[in-house]
Amino acid sequence: MLLMRRFVPAWLCALVLFSPPLAAQDGGARGTLVILLGGEATSPIPTLLQANFANQDVADQLFLRLARLGPKMETSGDKDFVPELARSWSRRDSLTLVFELDPRARWHDGVPVTAQDVVFTVQRTLEPGVDVQHATLFQYVESVSAEGDHRVVFRFKRWYPEQFYDAVFHVQPLPSHLVAQIPATGLAASDYARHPVGDGPFRWVRREPGQLIELAANDQFFLGKPGLSRLVFRFVGDQEARNAQLLSGEADATGNILPVSNVDRFRQNPELRIIPVPSLTIGYLLFNQRDRADTSRPHPILADPAVRRALTLAIDRRRIIQSVFGPGTDIPVGPVSLLLSVRDTTIKPLPFDVATARSLLRSHGWEDHDGDGILDRDGHPLALTMNFPGTATILRLVALQVQEQLRQFGVKVDAVPLSPGDFMQRSRAGNFDLQMSAVTQDPTPSGIRQSWTCGGIGGSNFARYCNPLVDSLIDAAVTGRSDRRARWRRAIAALNDDAPAIFLYTPTLLAVVHSRFRNVNLRPPSLWQDVWRWSVAPGRELDRDRRP
Amino acid sequence: MIRWLAGRLAQALVTLALVTIITFFLMRLAPGDPMAPVGDRQMSEREVLALRAIYGLDQPLYRQFTAYVSGLLHGDLGTSFSQRRPVATVVAERLPATLLLGGCVLFINFTLGVWLGARQAVRRGSRFDHLASTLSLSGYAMPSFWLGMLLIWLFAIHFKVLPASGMRDLFAAELPPARRALDLLRHLVLPVTTLSLVTLAITMRHQRSAMLEVLRLDYVRTARAKGLPERVVLRRHAWRNAIFPTVTLLGLWLPVIATGAVFVEAVFSWPGLGSLAQDAIGNRDYPLLMGTSMLTSTAVVIGGLLADLGYLLLDPRLHRR
Repeated sequence: MLLMRRFVPAWLCALVLFSPPLAAQDGGARGTLVILLGGEATSPIPTLLQANFANQDVADQLFLRLARLGPKMETSGDKDFVPELARSWSRRDSLTLVFELDPRARWHDGVPVTAQDVVFTVQRTLEPGVDVQHATLFQYVESVSAEGDHRVVFRFKRWYPEQFYDAVFHVQPLPSHLVAQIPATGLAASDYARHPVGDGPFRWVRREPGQLIELAANDQFFLGKPGLSRLVFRFVGDQEARNAQLLSGEADATGNILPVSNVDRFRQNPELRIIPVPSLTIGYLLFNQRDRADTSRPHPILADPAVRRALTLAIDRRRIIQSVFGPGTDIPVGPVSLLLSVRDTTIKPLPFDVATARSLLRSHGWEDHDGDGILDRDGHPLALTMNFPGTATILRLVALQVQEQLRQFGVKVDAVPLSPGDFMQRSRAGNFDLQMSAVTQDPTPSGIRQSWTCGGIGGSNFARYCNPLVDSLIDAAVTGRSDRRARWRRAIAALNDDAPAIFLYTPTLLAVVHSRFRNVNLRPPSLWQDVWRWSVAPGRELDRDRRP
Repeated sequence: MIRWLAGRLAQALVTLALVTIITFFLMRLAPGDPMAPVGDRQMSEREVLALRAIYGLDQPLYRQFTAYVSGLLHGDLGTSFSQRRPVATVVAERLPATLLLGGCVLFINFTLGVWLGARQAVRRGSRFDHLASTLSLSGYAMPSFWLGMLLIWLFAIHFKVLPASGMRDLFAAELPPARRALDLLRHLVLPVTTLSLVTLAITMRHQRSAMLEVLRLDYVRTARAKGLPERVVLRRHAWRNAIFPTVTLLGLWLPVIATGAVFVEAVFSWPGLGSLAQDAIGNRDYPLLMGTSMLTSTAVVIGGLLADLGYLLLDPRLHRR
């Protein structure tokens, strides 16, 4: 029975993933789906994405990957990958992966997708100054070559567990017959960028700057006919404006309506469904390990692990989660979001325990000697500044609650809202005591190495956190050939124990989708990648669904 | 007249040059790393350094400035960091929406605002005067985003008679021209109403006090004494002189048109320059921010110039001088 309970969800996911859309099965209604995005997709073309989520969301409809990540989000090896542009793959040796492209794959202009397209795209990505962000992800790729029209060979510099993930996931192939003659630096302003041609389930129709991108079903899509005839991405930066468009019926879906205070308005509307979507997002309060005035010195308060642990014990994270996120959101253990494959629920987060926190601080000399409500030691109050991006609603709500809880505990926290640019500049310079952050993690756990090891200092490890024991455990987990989960468990447990941050929340996002859509499946990291399988329930079409 | 115009143009060019210098260096001195917010994913230091080199941000400030000015003199506003496209193209895409929204607001200010303000002055102390003052000041006192959300809730969500946001219906391109214009008009109603309610009070107050001032003058009394109908006294004698301060004010409204109203554009997802400038600030997209700032400054200068020209046209005495 236990076995059944574990396997049924995966079995259902597989059924959804491999089944053709309902519309294709029963010839049901086709329709228009209007999705609201918080940012504008200005260049939804591989090599020009600039890690902009809106660009990626649109590009995922236009361009295919060699293979897509499956429901378990396991980036190690190839077991959890589903064929997409490549119909099969094999390994020649520990350094060589061979992909056989599906010969049915066509670009939207009818030209077959070839191995040369894949080779061209990787080479274009690696050209200096073209796609800096993705080029670093190919750092272990030695060469990519074509053998005939449909075979692509990736050769790596060294073995590591995520070779397959790196080869198939980061960059979607471009049509070399259209792009090769355009200089890399001119691609963004080219005719191709104005009317991109891809190989995905939807093809380009038009873009209205600042407003929307419209795509139409690619009826020749080799994996099946899309269940919707039209897909529109509308760009609405303001959350209230997004809510208004959904409630007025002008749009059909959005990826997240959190904070939880928004939910009631949507619950009262029978036309809209709220769909919980576990995420790769994690929010935490970072402790700077170095003195903000002189990063060569340890932080006078936070370099002490006992203080960090005490502050973690003093925060009631469950209460914050309930008031901002509602059910489904969890307290993370270490920097591990809900969907990261190495998440291990057997490791427990540090509890909310004010008494232990107080005695821990007392044993290190922190007490309220002068009776002003603020803990002090040697005449110095336990006072810290907390930077947070003032434009991020959720981070602002969480930051203010943390500030209040710490005040009640006896820590004076000066909360400083900053613009995104200023926030990042201070992060890089180490100019903070506490920093409220949220990141959407890559599906791979190896990203943890960038932010939480000594090697990440000067990069994404803004707190300059360095613990050689944690480093060695993470290295062993990233590069180990066997027993990967156990290695990660040890690394995460050690990191969690050392409390380099208060890991506050990993949310279940609340997406909203109009109830007329069937076969709805939302899956990070590419939330909308399955919309081509959606369809409109017969008899529930709106005017916009009936348009040709 | 030509000498005057040439002088004003030279003055305008100097102003623009100063604005370019000040804006460029102020922007660079403001806190914030332009390469930090590019993308939603955190970048490694190596990636950041590579991007800084691509965009020339690793060069000394004076070199960045000379490169920018050299581009500007060749009509090149640079390339947007966040969009990787020429700034001129990006700005040109958003300009029509801003001009449309701002133009409508300006039109309402110039017609309804001026008329209401003048009428208030004529009926000074009446119930109409009090009511108009109260209503217009209430509009002025309301935060535009709040007023916008209120109107959306009322007309788009509750009564469902007007669109909540955007500039066009999804299928507007397929409509015949007349219905397309109607669709655009429907989308304009709420943002224009919001922005007009917020700005109308200023125009009305200006016009009211200018008109009151003029109505006290001797020549108006003389006009009445010689038996001219009240309508003629008010229109031909009083109002024509009372319009000057309002003309100046309307010249100064031009930057509002050029940049749009940031909050109103955000609430109504209006794809104008205001939201573009807001994104550029958030992204520390220097070239895009410079592009929108240059446009605003140019609008201010042109606004001043047009106000002066308006004076010339309205007041024949200035012609003679």
